[in-house]
Amino acid sequence: MNTEIESLIADFYKHGYILNDALATSVFLLKKLEKPLLLEGDPGVGKTMLASALAAHLETDLIRLQCYEGLDVGNTIYEWNYQKQLLHIKLFEQERDKKKLGEEIFGMEYVLERPLLQSISAPKPVVLLIDEIDRADEEFEAYLLELLSDFQISIPELGTISAVSKPLVILTSNRTRELSDALRRRCLYHWVDFPTRARELDIIGRKLPEIDQELASQVVTFIHNLRKSSLHKPPGIAESLDWAKTLLLLNENHITDEIIKNTIGSVLKHKDDIEFVKNRSVQEFLMPID
Amino acid sequence: METVDQTFKERLIDFTFYCRERQFMLGPQDTREAFDIAERGYWLDRKLFQYSLKAIFCKRKEHFDRFDEMFDRFWSRYYQEKLEARKKAIKQIKKEPETDTLIFLGAKFNKPRQEKEQKEAKQTKGANEQLRLRMTDFSKVDIADKERLEELAEELFHQMSMRFKRRLESANKGRIDIRRTIRHSISKGGLMLDLAYKKKRREKRKVVFLLDVSGSMDTYSYYLLRYVMVLRKYFRELEFFTFSTHLTHVTPMLRAENEEQVLRAVGKNVHSWSSGTKIGESLSEFLSKYGHKFLSQKHIVVILSDGLETGSVTQLKEAVGTIRRKCRTLIWLNPLKGMKDYQPIQQGMVNVMPHLDAFESAHNLESLLKLEKLLMDV
Repeated sequence: MNTEIESLIADFYKHGYILNDALATSVFLLKKLEKPLLLEGDPGVGKTMLASALAAHLETDLIRLQCYEGLDVGNTIYEWNYQKQLLHIKLFEQERDKKKLGEEIFGMEYVLERPLLQSISAPKPVVLLIDEIDRADEEFEAYLLELLSDFQISIPELGTISAVSKPLVILTSNRTRELSDALRRRCLYHWVDFPTRARELDIIGRKLPEIDQELASQVVTFIHNLRKSSLHKPPGIAESLDWAKTLLLLNENHITDEIIKNTIGSVLKHKDDIEFVKNRSVQEFLMPID
Repeated sequence: METVDQTFKERLIDFTFYCRERQFMLGPQDTREAFDIAERGYWLDRKLFQYSLKAIFCKRKEHFDRFDEMFDRFWSRYYQEKLEARKKAIKQIKKEPETDTLIFLGAKFNKPRQEKEQKEAKQTKGANEQLRLRMTDFSKVDIADKERLEELAEELFHQMSMRFKRRLESANKGRIDIRRTIRHSISKGGLMLDLAYKKKRREKRKVVFLLDVSGSMDTYSYYLLRYVMVLRKYFRELEFFTFSTHLTHVTPMLRAENEEQVLRAVGKNVHSWSSGTKIGESLSEFLSKYGHKFLSQKHIVVILSDGLETGSVTQLKEAVGTIRRKCRTLIWLNPLKGMKDYQPIQQGMVNVMPHLDAFESAHNLESLLKLEKLLMDV
């Protein structure tokens, strides 16, 4: 592998994120081609964490935009500071001519910058995380297209604002709905899968250095076997870590049926899934993985 | 920067065509970026080049899952083909002159005859091929076409799902919400600068699919299952059952993200796959076990079966009649309807026909795509 990618993997490792070769190449291209990176994958596989690790790696700020239904330009790009504009009108309505007054109140000083505008106005490149884009409406996706392809934003009263420095954009999606082809075309793509057994062991060992190797191995085997079952919500890496932490706090060294009954809530978040596990023997989930 | 030789450039262009033929959505920008990374010297490291192209060319998980295999297949195959083509070319040069002369506006142009003919044939073939595959009966797909049909099905189903989504979303804009508009205006000195809109109450679409997986439906079941898997993303409440001699509730198995996982899970859990057909008995089982939960005036019930009943016809008639009374719309999809001169004269179909709101074919991609309108309109 390329030396630059190897050093990228090493540096991410220092910041607590373990990259595989394919994902490292995508991050490398994100930097080199200055093209947004769209990450899709199940919840809890580390999509959002990647953006934090990238910001730490570049020693820059992370600007996060959490998407939800109903998100609009006012919440994401800019909003006029209406109170300030009204105050300005009141103060100068007697003294100035109307045309000049109109021009004054639509200047940059009356604009409230929201995350997307902030990200392109920053003096040095920041990491912009547009999290869970699949939760936002299709209209919002359309707003994003201009930013993602040209790194500029158009404000009708002010014209086009181009990026002072191009942000490194990461978009994440849990695939609760299909994203448009127009958005996908503008991005690099990577599907973040659940980690391999060895990688997950590495993650747990790194995050919880005090954990017993045998216990960590059991946790990972159990979780991997759970992921193979048809669950409503298969556990992600976050759940593996939570569970390992719980077992560590309880000073447990082995997974038993009793422990499963008491702690399974930190792994599974759905009633049917919990019932499914409770009705089976722990040994079934501790069978070696092929 | 490393210079990229001409052969490699040609190979890269061929690879973009190869990907496009397999339903990858690649535009000139993607090709330009592929050249960009090649010119940066990444092509010298096979893995780096593969992962870089993967990030640029893939736009969806379905592409991502297939890419590595395609990359391996293309680049090794291409190398062999290139060697053989070179050997042939050397032989041909010795035998006959390869070019025609064309006089255009007084200037002479050399035109490689064979290449031009091949290119034209390929283009015509490409368009006709798609149409042919769309019209091919699932039961008559040969091994050579299977892979292409799968890829085409994936792309067409994806396009259909996008249309579904757009129609559902555009139907959700409502009227101005006066109360919220006034409340928003408070912070702006009473000026109504932002209008708030009422959201239309989303009507929950509820669909129940009952798929016949008996021996006579075997060739169709696979594609119908994939079709249902696409639809599950857009119907908030979709329940899926398979039946042959008895009923299996498949919905819990559809939760896996990966299509392959779903197919594997269904294959493993549906024990009556490719066996006989007892439609009436299975539908009665559906009514008694799940009817109270999954049948109401909001439910659309879609039965996918050839109607070749081996059990009691009276039981089938009664079961279908009861389902029709309890649901909003009952649609029967019968792959046999796609056959020329087909008439629903079998005992099973004759008895259920009066209860159906729609009776359609489902034997090829074209007919499945036409169902989109039917499902949107109900």
